[in-house]
Amino acid sequence: MSWRIAVRHRTGYVYSTAVRASYNEARMTPASSRGQQTLESRLEVTPGTRPLRYVDYWGTVVDAFDVHVPHSELVVTASSVVETAGQLDPPPPIGWDAVTSAEVADRYAELLGASRYVCFEPEVTSTGASFAAAALPADAALQAVAWSHEQLGYERGSTGVHTTSAEARAAGKGVCQDYTHLTLAVLRAMGLPARYVSGYLYPTAGDADTTVGVSTSGESHAWVEFWAGQWVPADPTSLAAVGERHVVVARGRDYADVRPLSGVYHGPPAESLGVEVELTRLR
Amino acid sequence: MGSLFDSYHSVAYDEMFAGDGAPHPHTKALFDALQLLSSADLEERVGVLQRSLRDQGITFSHAGQEWIFPLDLIPRLIPTAEWELIEAGVIQRVRALEAFLADIYGARTVLADGIVPQAVIASSTNFYRAAAGLEPANGVRVHIAGIDLIRDGEGVLRVLEDNVRVPSGISYVVENRRTMARVFPGLFLEQRVQPVAQHIALLFAALRSSAPAGVDDPTVVLLTPGVYNSAYFEHAFLARKMGIELVEGRDLFCRDNVLYMRTTSGERRVHVLYRRVDDDYLDPVHFRSGSVVGCPGVLNAARAGNVTIANAVGNGVADDKLIYTYVPALIEYYLGEKPALPNVPTYRLDEPEVLEDCIARIDQLVLKPVDGSGGYGLLIGPQASEEEIESTRAQVLENPRGWIAQEVVMLSTSPSLDGEKLAPRHVDLRPFAINDGGQVRVLPGGLTRVALREGSLVVNSSQGGGSKDTWVLTSRPVRGDEPDPVAPMPTPAVKASAPDLGPQSDQPQQQQQGCAPC
Repeated sequence: MSWRIAVRHRTGYVYSTAVRASYNEARMTPASSRGQQTLESRLEVTPGTRPLRYVDYWGTVVDAFDVHVPHSELVVTASSVVETAGQLDPPPPIGWDAVTSAEVADRYAELLGASRYVCFEPEVTSTGASFAAAALPADAALQAVAWSHEQLGYERGSTGVHTTSAEARAAGKGVCQDYTHLTLAVLRAMGLPARYVSGYLYPTAGDADTTVGVSTSGESHAWVEFWAGQWVPADPTSLAAVGERHVVVARGRDYADVRPLSGVYHGPPAESLGVEVELTRLR
Repeated sequence: MGSLFDSYHSVAYDEMFAGDGAPHPHTKALFDALQLLSSADLEERVGVLQRSLRDQGITFSHAGQEWIFPLDLIPRLIPTAEWELIEAGVIQRVRALEAFLADIYGARTVLADGIVPQAVIASSTNFYRAAAGLEPANGVRVHIAGIDLIRDGEGVLRVLEDNVRVPSGISYVVENRRTMARVFPGLFLEQRVQPVAQHIALLFAALRSSAPAGVDDPTVVLLTPGVYNSAYFEHAFLARKMGIELVEGRDLFCRDNVLYMRTTSGERRVHVLYRRVDDDYLDPVHFRSGSVVGCPGVLNAARAGNVTIANAVGNGVADDKLIYTYVPALIEYYLGEKPALPNVPTYRLDEPEVLEDCIARIDQLVLKPVDGSGGYGLLIGPQASEEEIESTRAQVLENPRGWIAQEVVMLSTSPSLDGEKLAPRHVDLRPFAINDGGQVRVLPGGLTRVALREGSLVVNSSQGGGSKDTWVLTSRPVRGDEPDPVAPMPTPAVKASAPDLGPQSDQPQQQQQGCAPC
């Protein structure tokens, strides 16, 4: 089953003095792929600009824009209407041979190695090896997801956007981004191609009667997809099934490939405006 | 007779003498001319040459100092037939690399078809995902290429490496010829040498033709990292010769995905950016965010089709030294042709058995970092110390993907001035190819680099190398725009002993160089 969700995502920066020559890229438009359909999308930037829209290497829609008028606040608001994919069929019961073949390893080479925020640590690798005893890779992967969930306590503000999987594991706490990076580390150490998924999660489950038409304060979210004959999503932060409440924006090796807003400018250090996400179930 | 060539003996293939000690047919005229010279003549000419180089300010910087790029007095000659082979081989190579780059940053069929493993691309530090989907205006990504060739012990020309990022050296080709025309004007009178003076005009024409669609009179600028860059002389030289602005990052800015330069009379739109700044530093929005030598936003301006970046961003994936091992296969895959110029035998160290074998005989091999250039990090096994070998061995075992191994090629030698005598010194050749979108042309000439230290096989200027003027001989009359009439030596003392017009006598089939410059 699929939901239709309106997403309003507002983010930006405040500067202590006026800034000019600001060059940015926003990755805030939900993807149309793998069963999800983006029906409408719009990006508003204040001060006003004329963005260039393109699709990057990972298939993510990017809006590139620059701001030249002096400004002490940059606000980016992405609004979209999405039909979510709903829950996918479980993967076929495919064994390790098919999933870790040389052909698969080559095809997904860039999703098998360490990356900027996904670290290979000996403990993580040996833990992954113990899960690999499971008969089916998909089962082993779900054990890895559960293990990562156990390793961290959810604590908002305990980590930052540049925290690596190793740092989060050492701290024993983190947010969805950290759960996701740690899970990717275990999955890849097991030889399973795995990628970072960023997007949104509609916060409450429930049937249409109680949720349609209700605006809720949602949040940016992150989870994983691993390859077990097909791409299988899993949410290590909530352990909830990935389905109609998950809106996909971007996929990549780790957070570095999916940053919602990134750029350079001339001026004093910026302070984040924070992120506001409003999700409304339309049907 | 007390010849400059007394005791000349090469351990390798020699560019001037055949195995029997007699000059090759195409070098006989030069040999005869040199025979007439005494050490004193030579010394006088060396003086002229040094003054000329200094006056022209032909320098490169290395280890924080400005150095004159040494020009050896004795030219390196290439006969017509051989040049045709070089030309065909280089054109083929550039066409294949262009096709490969378009594919890698586009449809990626070469990966789907299993010609090149995905893993090789994914692990290449020179694969720039930000360049994916970026289509240059006239389809050209390699506006200028420098393909390094060497000749092995059997006399076979082989490709040593491809340079399709920001190849340098073309200014030295032009300046070396100018200098030689001053120092040895007489020599040119007896030979039919293809001119090089038009090289820069061809590069400029190719840059202009790469401008965004609909721009009839494009503004081209040359972006340099600045005066401290080792190739700054070349940047300034090329900008002057092309009559374009030499700019630094701070002179440029992007607005609404259009590139502008700041001038004294206001902002001016730029259509083609001939950049001599590496990818990593070109655009802080996508690459090193701290870079100040680039211009933020320029990559997306190119993506929007408002400016052409020459050479294109991400070309390094094609001259990665591991990809080099696949180039013969790429030539067959994209062009359906057999490679005209073979590679040097090369081993991929990411294959465990190969790694083991190469590590076992590391002292007999050449080891190269796959993303290096300029000869940095290179190990020549037979000439290396125990410590150097140990250090490289450790680095290779740590990161086998980061290295390739090659058989040692005894580079050919060419007579070079050593004190008062001529002695054999090892040389390579970097021909330059220009792609204007309609045609790939190989400039007749190229940079012959020479390892001035006796026995050395490293020709890089940063490693004690010099250069030679490179004469591509032709059987056709050459237009008289050379030698340079400026201040020749007062009495051209050199006369050829016979009116030998070069190679046409023994190679009658060579009528024509297919690429007369226009």
